[in-house]
Amino acid sequence: MTGLAIVVLLSLGRHPATGRPRRNPDDARALATALALAATRSGSRVLAVHAGDPRAPVLRDYLGQGLDELTVLDMPSGSDPLPSLREHLVALSPDLLLTGQRAENGEASGLLPYLLAEALGMTLVPGVVGLDLQGDQGRFTQALPRGRRRQIEARLPLAATIPAGTAGLPLPSFAAARRGRIVSLPALASPDPHLVAIERQPWRQLPRPQPRRLKGSAIDRLKSMTGGGEAKGRLLVDPDPETAAAQILDRLGEIGLIRASHQSVTSRDTDGRTER
Amino acid sequence: MSRPRLDPRALRLARQVEGGGKRPRFALKADPPALHSRRRDPRLLRMRALVPGARRPRYDWKRDAASGAPSAVPAVDPVPANEPIRVESPAFWVLAVLDQSTGALDETDLQLLSVARRLAGDEGGVVALALADPVLATAGADRLAVWPASAVDPAAAEARAATVQALVESVKPRHVLCSDDPVAGGDIARRLAAKAGLRLVSAVNSLTADGRIGRRAGDETWLQPAPALMTIMPGSFAADEQALREARPLELPPIAFEAARLANIGLLPVDPESLPLDETDFIASAGNGVTDFAAFAEAAAALGATRAGSRVVCDAGLLPRDRQVGASGTVVTARCYLALGIAGAPQHLQGITGVRHVIAVNTDLHAEMIKRADLSIIADAQAVMPALARLARQRQEKP
Amino acid sequence: MLAGLAPLIVLACLLSGLVAAAWQTRRWLQGAPARVARLQGLIAMPGRYLVDVHQVVARRPRNARFHALAAGGLLASLALWCVLAVPPLRYRPLWGVLALVLALMLMGAISVWRRRQVDRPVELSGGGFDRLPLALLLYAGGFLVLALAELFTGPAATLFSSLGLIVGTFGLAGIISLAIGGPLKHAINGMLHLAFHPRPARFVGGKRDTGLVPLDLASARLGVERPVDFAWNRLLGFDACVQCGRCEQVCPAYAAEQPLNPKKFIQDLAMALAPGASDDAYAGHGHPGQALGSAHGGPGEPLIGAMISDATLWSCTTCRACVHECPMMIEHVDAMVDLRRFQTLELAALPGKAALVLEDLRLTDTLSGRGPGARLDWAVDLRIPLMREVMEAPVLLWLGEAAFDLRAQRTLRALVRLLRQAGVVFATLGPEELDCGDTARRLGDEATFQDLAGRNIATLSRYRFDRIVTADPHSLHVLKNEYPAFGGGYEVVHHTTFLAGLIERGVFGPLSPDGRKVTYHDPCYLGRYNGETAAPRALLDALGLERVEMERSGLRSQCCGGGGGATLTDIPGKRRIPDIRMAQATETGAAVIAVACPTCTVMLEGVTGKRPEVLDVAELLWQAVERGGIAAARSGMPA
Repeated sequence: MTGLAIVVLLSLGRHPATGRPRRNPDDARALATALALAATRSGSRVLAVHAGDPRAPVLRDYLGQGLDELTVLDMPSGSDPLPSLREHLVALSPDLLLTGQRAENGEASGLLPYLLAEALGMTLVPGVVGLDLQGDQGRFTQALPRGRRRQIEARLPLAATIPAGTAGLPLPSFAAARRGRIVSLPALASPDPHLVAIERQPWRQLPRPQPRRLKGSAIDRLKSMTGGGEAKGRLLVDPDPETAAAQILDRLGEIGLIRASHQSVTSRDTDGRTER
Repeated sequence: MSRPRLDPRALRLARQVEGGGKRPRFALKADPPALHSRRRDPRLLRMRALVPGARRPRYDWKRDAASGAPSAVPAVDPVPANEPIRVESPAFWVLAVLDQSTGALDETDLQLLSVARRLAGDEGGVVALALADPVLATAGADRLAVWPASAVDPAAAEARAATVQALVESVKPRHVLCSDDPVAGGDIARRLAAKAGLRLVSAVNSLTADGRIGRRAGDETWLQPAPALMTIMPGSFAADEQALREARPLELPPIAFEAARLANIGLLPVDPESLPLDETDFIASAGNGVTDFAAFAEAAAALGATRAGSRVVCDAGLLPRDRQVGASGTVVTARCYLALGIAGAPQHLQGITGVRHVIAVNTDLHAEMIKRADLSIIADAQAVMPALARLARQRQEKP
Repeated sequence: MLAGLAPLIVLACLLSGLVAAAWQTRRWLQGAPARVARLQGLIAMPGRYLVDVHQVVARRPRNARFHALAAGGLLASLALWCVLAVPPLRYRPLWGVLALVLALMLMGAISVWRRRQVDRPVELSGGGFDRLPLALLLYAGGFLVLALAELFTGPAATLFSSLGLIVGTFGLAGIISLAIGGPLKHAINGMLHLAFHPRPARFVGGKRDTGLVPLDLASARLGVERPVDFAWNRLLGFDACVQCGRCEQVCPAYAAEQPLNPKKFIQDLAMALAPGASDDAYAGHGHPGQALGSAHGGPGEPLIGAMISDATLWSCTTCRACVHECPMMIEHVDAMVDLRRFQTLELAALPGKAALVLEDLRLTDTLSGRGPGARLDWAVDLRIPLMREVMEAPVLLWLGEAAFDLRAQRTLRALVRLLRQAGVVFATLGPEELDCGDTARRLGDEATFQDLAGRNIATLSRYRFDRIVTADPHSLHVLKNEYPAFGGGYEVVHHTTFLAGLIERGVFGPLSPDGRKVTYHDPCYLGRYNGETAAPRALLDALGLERVEMERSGLRSQCCGGGGGATLTDIPGKRRIPDIRMAQATETGAAVIAVACPTCTVMLEGVTGKRPEVLDVAELLWQAVERGGIAAARSGMPA
């Protein structure tokens, strides 16, 4: 088996409570995936790239995951990283491009990996939580909502976006962070004209959206006033177990959760595949 | 069987009232929000609920919309008796690309259609690109483009993106809306953006009165005019009720699509027990009031729920530590939380703030969990759990 | 006669023993360099032995007696042999003195034998230790016969004398063989360990030296990976272990059958000093749930993994019960943290939620991940003055992580009201207060600890205050004992100490307790780490509550299981530590278990079933003050 050239794109994250810079959890998971993959195939290289300020202290945390070297395309914040990244990556011609699924700063449209995959002629697989490479054939496990998993096969060269997942991220090793090198390359700084047109306001929690009702809303209101409401806040005192169980199952049915519906979902998805 | 989210009876009633005497006042209104928030006539509704033959007026609200056990409802033809709103040549189109990830229209799809409808206003029309579903007419779609055979599989992202691209080129919509799901609508939107050189605005979470869209960026909200291509943040918009529309079939243009490079191998079987708590959708959770853990396991298995527990239960080693819900355990966002014998300590309730539906079984009427729940059963969990398991299995066996 | 021969044989044996012992020093001399005041240590050594070691040993009078007889007898007899070896000094009465000494030693040896063979405590190790009584008996008995025979003349005396010499020499040979790598090496290593102890300050006039030693973050290897990475005097300590098992008896993790036996842990470290080490020869209790015989290692090989499992390392609650009980003055917790430092800083290998929480701590400066900005959210209505507004206050109230815990907030609330009631002028850092770094440091994350310490000290240096009062013994310990190494020196007082002082001054007016029976649980970081066991008790007594003591209390109290990040690493055991502690509390029949630490509160409140109510001392006091006030108001009212 020949070694792989694995490029990982790393961005700066933002802690949700304090707003402080941190590793982007998705990117950190992508890096962990890349390092684990490189360890299984001898001769593989992990080429980590960040576009931004090489002096950002948080970059050391990525090194702390066991990365020896991180290349930084030096550009001021707010620049469009695409042209420089494209140029850099074309020169590297990687077999595999791994990135986090979402950025935590800036526009965070998640578009960059798609644009790079397009430019590099790579097949893109989103939402990858597991990957198994045999030669140039890859089998990917995708995380679907509600804990479902789908398997996808595709050939190298590939780009994969990776979600952080729910397991905690590896803690960066202080010693490895100290040992790793940051290599800064001058890069083209092209300001993003689009961002200028955006009006920025301080973020505030939006109220939970209420649906606009056409009909039946008056009835609902009346019912809640007369206590005859049965959907929200229903209470059964000392029912016999059968009644209680039936009520619970009915409610689960309304929510669409009892297993029967799960199974039909599963079969439908596979049906779709067989039709294809 | 998966059940459509909208109750057909509710929709029928809605239409009846609309057609019933009060003439199409709404259709003349210029402002659609005003239309949607218009108050109904309570007298009419009251009349409908009136039980005939009683000496004193008695009302049975079960006779009308949005109530009653769905199982008791006979299947209703969703095609309305009255006329749908017809849009022939609107000023512009809004294309809503639906995921239908459960095979039917779900909450996310309805939210997406609601946003599309609001962006379309009175002058625009909504094209839904979806799996054919009769409910679409009641969900706000003027036109319905059905995925071609190559793009029926939700995993066929390349074919789906090519389909959207072809449709965009032929219909030329002003806005294209996709879900934000990174392995479904979000993926398609990004593929389209990369192929067609469109700017993508993702995770849109608000729509201002002046028609601009907003989304969160760190501790800021970014506002801008509604772009050509956007993904909609789930849960940020409610699924509005919609007036009946045509959902007239729309012929797809020829699609330029080479061979798929992604091959779907299929879904992996998922054992709910193996799911991390913050990923699972349905949790059955045991507290101090559960003593029979065999029955608990059996009930959870029968329901297909992931097992979890309060701190007390995990401390006692009855469930592993990673199954602990609460501030000091896992903060969960499941759609439904079945709390068995859990009183609801503040730390525990902190762990389920993100849960949509809570069902509580507890012997104490005054437990905090009972206040939090939308279905509360004051009973001993030991009695309810076996009944629940039995009944769930019975219902599964029945077709 | 054998009068001339015997001393020479003994001295020859002794000399060979000393040579062998010197050869043994290479075991621990392979350790890393350490700065030790050797001469001072050697001078101080007898004092340390007679005072500090005696204090520990005297907790078990029977052991103290047999040790004094056997060891004292052996040493005294050896001294006499030296005298007897010089022909001009060989007075006949000296044989009588020797006989007396050996007779006393024989009593001790019999005692040792009884302890080993008749009523053997389960915590003792076997192996070489079980051969010890025989060697002592042969030595003492044989040479006693010889010494007595030397007092007489005649063929019978000669016969007995020769018999005694043969038997005694066998015994002495046994003793020396047991001193080379065997149990009696503790005699030499123990003495040298006392002299070159890594914490000489703990022997100075009743002082406690419990703060961890700062790690130089610029050093090439962070923490301890291999035995040779430990300082040589630490290795000396491990090698001095007598496997008496006192640590095993008091270790909360061992009691809960988590995979940690502190005795085995120290033995693992000591055994790994020989190349190709394995734990085959170890003859005591192992780490619960782990079979003996599988551990292997060597002086230059990594310890964690092959020699010691990581679960063992992360089971420790850093409660210092083992250190407090160790008659050889071994510092188990220091070793534990040294090993953790390597795991955390070099390998970033932490179990359970520890990594997640440390990451949050690094990014938010709070363990809860909510950020210091939210530290006063619970106290909006209390309007606690902020230091950055008042700039100076007599008392700086350090809130700690308790400010983020719903249960612990009740304690803080009671404390704030008490301070108000007593007219104490105080302020808090509020959003400027960062986590003190205790958990990070115990988990080996010295980098985060030093970062937090540095920034907290910088903040504190901006304000003027007389003392810091805190309700969290962990913060107390860190601020008081560990910040000085980074340039912060404060008078830090625990809230129980502070409140006890206020009560003495009678500032709270009439106190009316509810009369329930109460038992007090000493937090490790208040008691063993800081020696404060009296003030909370004085406070409870001042309330007029009936106070009963648990089986283990004061400096020998048992941990709640929450220290050292143990709740985060969460290593499973057969039982839970707080359950064990709560059982001890329930046994006293007390209705209330008084606590003085937010961690203990949370751990003990997590115990299910019928149990005493868990209340902080401050809460009990506030209740009494409130009731007292009401009662006074009622009695003051006209009838």
